[in-house]
Amino acid sequence: MGISRRRFLASLAAAVPLSVVVRRAHAAAVRHLESDPATLDALGEAVLPSQLGRAGITRAVSVFRDWGKNYHENAELLHGYGTSRLRTTGPTSVTRWTSQLDALDAAAQSKHARPFKSIKVADRADLVREALKGERLDRLPNVAEANHVAIALLAHFYESSSAADLCYQSRIGRQTCRPLAQQARKPLPLAGATKP
Amino acid sequence: MTRRVVESDVCIIGSGISAAMVADRLARTTSARIVVVEAGDNTIPLSARAAARDRFVRYGENPWGRDHLEGYEIEGPLQSRSMQVGGLAMHWGAVTPRFSPEDFTQRTLYGVGTDWPIDYDALDPFYQEAEEIMGVAGEQGPADLDPRKKPFPQPPLPLTYNLELLKAWAAKSGIPMWSQPSAKNSIAYRGRPQCCRNDTCSPICPIGAKYSPDFTWNALLGTRRIQLMPRTLVRRLVLEDGAKSVSHAVASSFDRPDTPVEFHARTFVVAAGYVWSSHLLLLSAQTGAPDGVANRSGLVGKYLSGHRNVGGYVELPLRLYPGMNEQHSLVTKQFMRTRPGTRFIRHDLRIWESSVGKTARLTDDSGALMLGDAILDDWRTRTAVGTARVRAYYEVIPDRSSELTLDTSRKNQWGDPLPRLSFQDAPESVAERGPTEESIRTLFSEMARAGKGKVLRTNVDNFQDHPAGGCRMGTDPSASVVDSWGRTHDHENLFVVGAPSAVSGGCANATLTFCALALRSAHELERGLPKR
Repeated sequence: MGISRRRFLASLAAAVPLSVVVRRAHAAAVRHLESDPATLDALGEAVLPSQLGRAGITRAVSVFRDWGKNYHENAELLHGYGTSRLRTTGPTSVTRWTSQLDALDAAAQSKHARPFKSIKVADRADLVREALKGERLDRLPNVAEANHVAIALLAHFYESSSAADLCYQSRIGRQTCRPLAQQARKPLPLAGATKP
Repeated sequence: MTRRVVESDVCIIGSGISAAMVADRLARTTSARIVVVEAGDNTIPLSARAAARDRFVRYGENPWGRDHLEGYEIEGPLQSRSMQVGGLAMHWGAVTPRFSPEDFTQRTLYGVGTDWPIDYDALDPFYQEAEEIMGVAGEQGPADLDPRKKPFPQPPLPLTYNLELLKAWAAKSGIPMWSQPSAKNSIAYRGRPQCCRNDTCSPICPIGAKYSPDFTWNALLGTRRIQLMPRTLVRRLVLEDGAKSVSHAVASSFDRPDTPVEFHARTFVVAAGYVWSSHLLLLSAQTGAPDGVANRSGLVGKYLSGHRNVGGYVELPLRLYPGMNEQHSLVTKQFMRTRPGTRFIRHDLRIWESSVGKTARLTDDSGALMLGDAILDDWRTRTAVGTARVRAYYEVIPDRSSELTLDTSRKNQWGDPLPRLSFQDAPESVAERGPTEESIRTLFSEMARAGKGKVLRTNVDNFQDHPAGGCRMGTDPSASVVDSWGRTHDHENLFVVGAPSAVSGGCANATLTFCALALRSAHELERGLPKR
């Protein structure tokens, strides 16, 4: 007696360790992000500061995409202080991000009859606001803990050294290798800075 | 059953910073055969640390890889799960203040706690030696507050632009502050480069500008002055008949668990930190030592020490630039010197730059979501003024019931009970806790007012930081476990060095003091060993 396709797939899934299934899902989601970069780029234009310029936004989104690609699930986190309990990283966020980007695209199609990447930046921002309704948004979370790809992108950018430099209009270079002697003087202004 | 026997003149159990100090000195001054036994694994090489740091910065991952033993979840506030060659000092912040002279004579000066059997002057040369081994960069504070007989081996880390502003702010309250001494290179030192402000000193310096014990171990291994055996857990110390001395140590190898390892040596040095030193002695209960090795006093595992802190954030009308070097601070010892006859309130004080309250946010004051330029504009507006982080470690008198005991409900893979930790304040500290914390909060408020700023918030860490003790030193064998040299009162060839031998926790980071104590022990140890 033969077995049904569903049963065959179920038995196959049972034979593959969960970690392998999860790894494959992460890899598939990364491929999805890389094969359709335009939607994430368009999201960057809607939520990141325009002061970055188009090239700066593209760069920030690219670094974010790279963050997701290189995320390791179940990696040991830095040990907590004062406890013997160990903690590890959680499931990949990339699978969630791809679904949320697809949802933004679907919302754009529904409301504007065009894909998310093709509508005006202000309209994209409105769709993001709509998608974030009901989310708790009191602070920027850790990237991996963000519930939505838009928040993850913002969290990733705003924790960066370049974001701090942009805010302060100064070359602080946080957590980068810099000459020790220079720390005694006020950081130099960013090129073209208006408020050093 | 087969067994492996390893013979030496000195067997050092543990490979953390105190062990490194002992090995370094004995290797320089004697020709003794030295074996170092470490339960944890080798640490990652310096060449791999930039990549490990990158994973930490981007994802929060532990940069130290396999730095713990499986199955060692214990009850109580274990300072860190880390166990590897180099110990906790692989990921320390390298902050290296000395204790103040008053720390050693509290009973005499203030009528509380217990005097150490040594005073500050006795420890001064060993502080200096530890500073030179590690390469401490420091600024000489006011001589009466910060006595030392010789200069620091390195010039101080320069104050950042931010810290210069904050130093001037503290001066408005009449508080002299100076650069916190640190085992981070202000200049290239002994083959290690100058610090370049990567600012992840704790947990990992990617370039080796911060001292960590692996540099000492690598040097000693390179000259074949030691034999280092990682992944080998010492489980028992076995006494000679009559229990006057230790015959050998019994260990299990994680790589060859079926072959016990015996370490035979003239002298045994337990240098396994405040937890695993007492733990080993208690595990070693046997005929002639029914309550554990070195425990005729019943004090092994007792009088664990540490200090608590009150921290806070003060908003100031200063344009600060967080991120210039966030792990470097200002320090003062002004408040460590309680006047006799007044309340026993002793603490240090530090100031750092901070970004607290000054990071980007998603919603404005009305709770509305911001996107695009609005977030950056809001952030800029809020960073027109700066935030200072302030913190004061205050003295906690250790209580006998601050203790490490064996937890028979939790065992390792060989069936040995794991430790259980519990901390209590001594009655004097219970009585002073409220006034002490209030006094520190008042100080923060006064400083904020002097700078025309405001305290954003304060907090108290409930755990005791920089823990130590468990084998406290003293002259009376009924009231202490080791003498002032770290030699156990009960067994002539057994030393316990570093953190466990501390009598009290002071009110500053204690690692340098542990190192100085370990070097003083090594000074005594070398007297019985062949000169180099």
